[in-house]
Amino acid sequence: MTRLVQRLGWPGTLALAIVVLFVAVALLAPWIAPYPAQGAGTPNVLAKLSPPSAGYWLGTDHLGRDILSRIIYGTRVSLTNGMLIVAFSLLIGLPVGLAAGYFGGWVDEALMRGTDIFLAFPALLLAVLMAAALGPGFLNSIIAVAVTWWPWYARLARAEVLVLRGQPYVEAARLAGVSHPRIILRHILPATGRPLTVQAALDVGPALLTAAALSFLGLGVLPPTADWGQMVDAGRKFFPDRWWYSAMPGLTIFIVALAFSVLGDALRDRRQGARHASA
Amino acid sequence: MELLRYILRRTILSAFVVLGVTFLVFIVAQVVPSDPAALYAGPRPTAAQIEKARQELNLDAPLPARFATFAMAMASGDFGVSYKSRRLISEDLRAYLPATLELAIFSTGLALLIGIPLGVVAAARQGKWPDRLGSLGSIAAVAMPTFFLAMLLQLVFAQWLGILPLSGRLSREIAIGAPLPAVTNFNMIDALLAGRLDAFVDAVKHLILPALTLASYPAGVAMRLTRSAMIDILERRHVVAARALGLSEPRILFGHALPNAMGPALTVIGLSFAYALTGAVLVEIIFAWPGLGHYVSEAILAKDFPVIAAVTMVVTICYVAMNLIIDIAQALVDPRVALT
Amino acid sequence: MNRRNFLKTTALAALAATSARWNLAMAAGTGSILTLAHPTSFPDLDPATSFSNDGAVLANVYEGLARYIPATETAPAKIEPLLATSWDISEDGKTWTFHLRDGVKFHDGSPLTSEAVKGSIERTRKIGGGASFIWGSVTAIETPEPLKVVFTLSEPQPLDLVASAGFAAWIYAPSSFGKDNAWFNAGNDAGTGPFRISRYQPGQRAVLDRVEGYWGKVPEGAFQTVSFEVVEDATLAQNMIESGQADWTYSLPYENLEALKSNPNLDVVVNPSFETLFGLYNVKRAPLDKVKVRQALSLAFPYDDVIAAGTSGFATRAKGVVPAGIWGHDADAPVPKTDLEAAKALLAEEGIEPGLELVMTYSTSQSLEAVAGELWKANLETLGITLTLQPMAWEAQWQLAKSSPEAAQNIFVMFWWPTFVTPYDYLFNLFHSEEKPNFNLGYYSNADVDAKIEEAAKLSGTDRARAEKLFIEAQRKIIEDAAAVFMVDQPNVHVIRKDVKGYTDNPAYGHVTFVNELSR
Repeated sequence: MTRLVQRLGWPGTLALAIVVLFVAVALLAPWIAPYPAQGAGTPNVLAKLSPPSAGYWLGTDHLGRDILSRIIYGTRVSLTNGMLIVAFSLLIGLPVGLAAGYFGGWVDEALMRGTDIFLAFPALLLAVLMAAALGPGFLNSIIAVAVTWWPWYARLARAEVLVLRGQPYVEAARLAGVSHPRIILRHILPATGRPLTVQAALDVGPALLTAAALSFLGLGVLPPTADWGQMVDAGRKFFPDRWWYSAMPGLTIFIVALAFSVLGDALRDRRQGARHASA
Repeated sequence: MELLRYILRRTILSAFVVLGVTFLVFIVAQVVPSDPAALYAGPRPTAAQIEKARQELNLDAPLPARFATFAMAMASGDFGVSYKSRRLISEDLRAYLPATLELAIFSTGLALLIGIPLGVVAAARQGKWPDRLGSLGSIAAVAMPTFFLAMLLQLVFAQWLGILPLSGRLSREIAIGAPLPAVTNFNMIDALLAGRLDAFVDAVKHLILPALTLASYPAGVAMRLTRSAMIDILERRHVVAARALGLSEPRILFGHALPNAMGPALTVIGLSFAYALTGAVLVEIIFAWPGLGHYVSEAILAKDFPVIAAVTMVVTICYVAMNLIIDIAQALVDPRVALT
Repeated sequence: MNRRNFLKTTALAALAATSARWNLAMAAGTGSILTLAHPTSFPDLDPATSFSNDGAVLANVYEGLARYIPATETAPAKIEPLLATSWDISEDGKTWTFHLRDGVKFHDGSPLTSEAVKGSIERTRKIGGGASFIWGSVTAIETPEPLKVVFTLSEPQPLDLVASAGFAAWIYAPSSFGKDNAWFNAGNDAGTGPFRISRYQPGQRAVLDRVEGYWGKVPEGAFQTVSFEVVEDATLAQNMIESGQADWTYSLPYENLEALKSNPNLDVVVNPSFETLFGLYNVKRAPLDKVKVRQALSLAFPYDDVIAAGTSGFATRAKGVVPAGIWGHDADAPVPKTDLEAAKALLAEEGIEPGLELVMTYSTSQSLEAVAGELWKANLETLGITLTLQPMAWEAQWQLAKSSPEAAQNIFVMFWWPTFVTPYDYLFNLFHSEEKPNFNLGYYSNADVDAKIEEAAKLSGTDRARAEKLFIEAQRKIIEDAAAVFMVDQPNVHVIRKDVKGYTDNPAYGHVTFVNELSR
């Protein structure tokens, strides 16, 4: 425990705890939520828009559903959203970046111009466009955001590959006649994979924020699935009199994104610290 | 010479990117399931009216022909008419583009104004509480969802404290009672041109909250970039020497260190502008700001393709142009960049 | 003078000029400006093609031959003379003669004549957009005298109702006949009404100023200027009405109305409207092709909960598709009550196994439709039916439904409101057989119902009582066949500042404020 604190610092450790809690809640939602049925969407009309109380710790929404339960169930959506967005972006970006970095030349030029085009689109606008084209829905909103995210991973992958390509052992493998795919799979990919996966894991936070923005605009999951961004939007017309409806999910988004951010910082500092120490 | 070649190369690439975006937008529009004729024909059209609209819009022409007409029209600035309102899109753009640009520029300015000094202070007091507070603040600024921040700012400053307006670009008294002649549609500029101090103040008051919302994330980034650049420089020999010579702290900070740390400022400008353009969609909805973000999100929901295409083109061009300017500026500041 | 003094003087001068301007603005009387906050914009200001919220603006700038006044507690519904003072109908109901009011002038100074009336309606029909189809049965318009217009119809139609429509029935000046849509949408107008459009910022506001010499009565303290503000955000609109920045608004969340009612500065005016909410069943796609299944679904709908949760008790149960307040409304219509046991029984009779999946589409911006869907879904879960709720943009929803019966959604939820005040508008559009559906998106087809609707249409002008009877019979068959689930009649809820006098809501003209009647 103290070693953890040593490596990450107090803020970092706290952030890690929150992230772990987030994942745990997502996995155990039906067992933790005080009103699992309401969390999943069953209305409870009699308790409409009740303020926080002993029965409903965070208050209820416009259909009387317990907001704490809705937030807990929303964790599942957010976590899956964040992970899948990052996964899909990697799925597209990694091969593109690998190919560009490894083969160089006109392949590199062409692929990089492609990423330029996607980067030229203001991100949220493109995501909104895609989401509108595909229609609302869980998978569609993920694809919409992934379409704007993959260029970053492509660039990152390419940069890593460029460094690796110059390494002697890769040169040696080429000279020995090892085929391109084998080199990529056995040497380049594992080395590139590690820093990228770390980056990806930390990007779950920002991915979550983008997904929340999309569902705030009504382009996320279909009702009655609980979704934090959608809840903030739904609660807006009752703000600030019945503040709990928007404030609770809004704060949750903030805290989770903050945790990922602080954790990312702590890990980066640690790596940089290690680099400085070894230099 | 190198510099010129670099500029030329970047400009050509930018043009290529814009063309690519045009193509992409067109393709997306084809994939989108919608019936533009039904949209064009009005709110509750009869079958006959829809048929008439279909012919007017020439929807049965082959795909390449339609792309050609589309691309040529875009190039000449003729964006056509909105399917939904049948108004000239260029007219709408004249009204809405300045509103969003005003937000983007003002928020970029705020981001720099807030972030850079904070970064300087954090660097100067490295490790002590102003630094730690600043770090916390910048992290929080990055993690805060834009739409939530907007709501909170509205709550605190407009509803509780009542010192800033809740929404819109101008107050009702001025917009209806004593309207500004619309010259550029940048309210601040128009107010100055017309010599109207009251309108100028009003316009600025209305800009503050939305611009602040959009400035928070870039301000955080600006703070951190300035801080690390400053720390880097402050540790260099010539600064240490200046200190040894007894030069005052502020002079060292602002006279020597800061000018050399301006590189990050350019990056922040680019980032902030881009962030403002995308974040505008959310902020414009919450603050009822009549800008492009609002205009295009309506169009996207209604599948009003000409509007979507036109706005995407315009925003992308702004974006690409801004990046080009920054790249050139960076090359001018640091000629080594031109070699990449 | 030196630089410092110069700056100081300039600053003071600017300040003085500013305050002078401010005083002028105040003196012009913010008291005589009325501010209306509308949640949707005004897309089309051309009186020939206007067919949505722009009607609210045009109703103050233009006038038609007559105006519909709905029934009140003390008086039955009537059609009031406006630009026409009276009208005669021939025996067969196919010739209508309107006598025009003398001394009315258009805003450009030209007088109202029968030629102007004929020209307006002909231009409207020629352009063919918007609601121009309401004049569909007119074969000829004659102008025997400057103040007499004679309409000849191909079949009997209630032309008095048509002429008092809120769309496509405006009379405008001959000088504007040659103008195109763009001219009107630049903010020009050619009406006879008490106001003219002085400034138009599309998507933001339309500012109207009073015209001199309006023919009608102008009350004491009437408003000189009215600003139609587009405030799409309900939260902002509520803020504006509470702070006095707006004088009138609607479409506020039902949940907030109780608080607004207890606000001493505000009046909350609740009225039945002519809008009704329903879900059309796709009767050509299994298993909804079986009557009992449709009836079961209707029995599973939580009518009272939707009214309580979705409208905070302000709406009323829909009795068929013709809402309360319109002639032809059937207050005793045999609509089902929520009864899950009965629903279960019917489903069992038809052999429907649990696990049935149905798709319900509704409009993305409509929170009431979303609430209705969620509550219905919960009930259907207990019967083993999974209802997938799909919010879509209106055009997308419409396109899906029109594509083919097999591909279309099972349930299409929408609102309907009439173009002019007649049950025909609802029944014909939604339930009359159509080869290729336009708005009969449930693919319902019944020859008997068709015949009744057509017959009643012909009698609407001459024998309204019999027409009413036939419309009611047609609707009863539709209810019996469970062609749709009839949810709620949407109430009109307008919030207005207490110091504004003379306000009445006229549901025949949706969300229209006749500003001329108001004063502060």
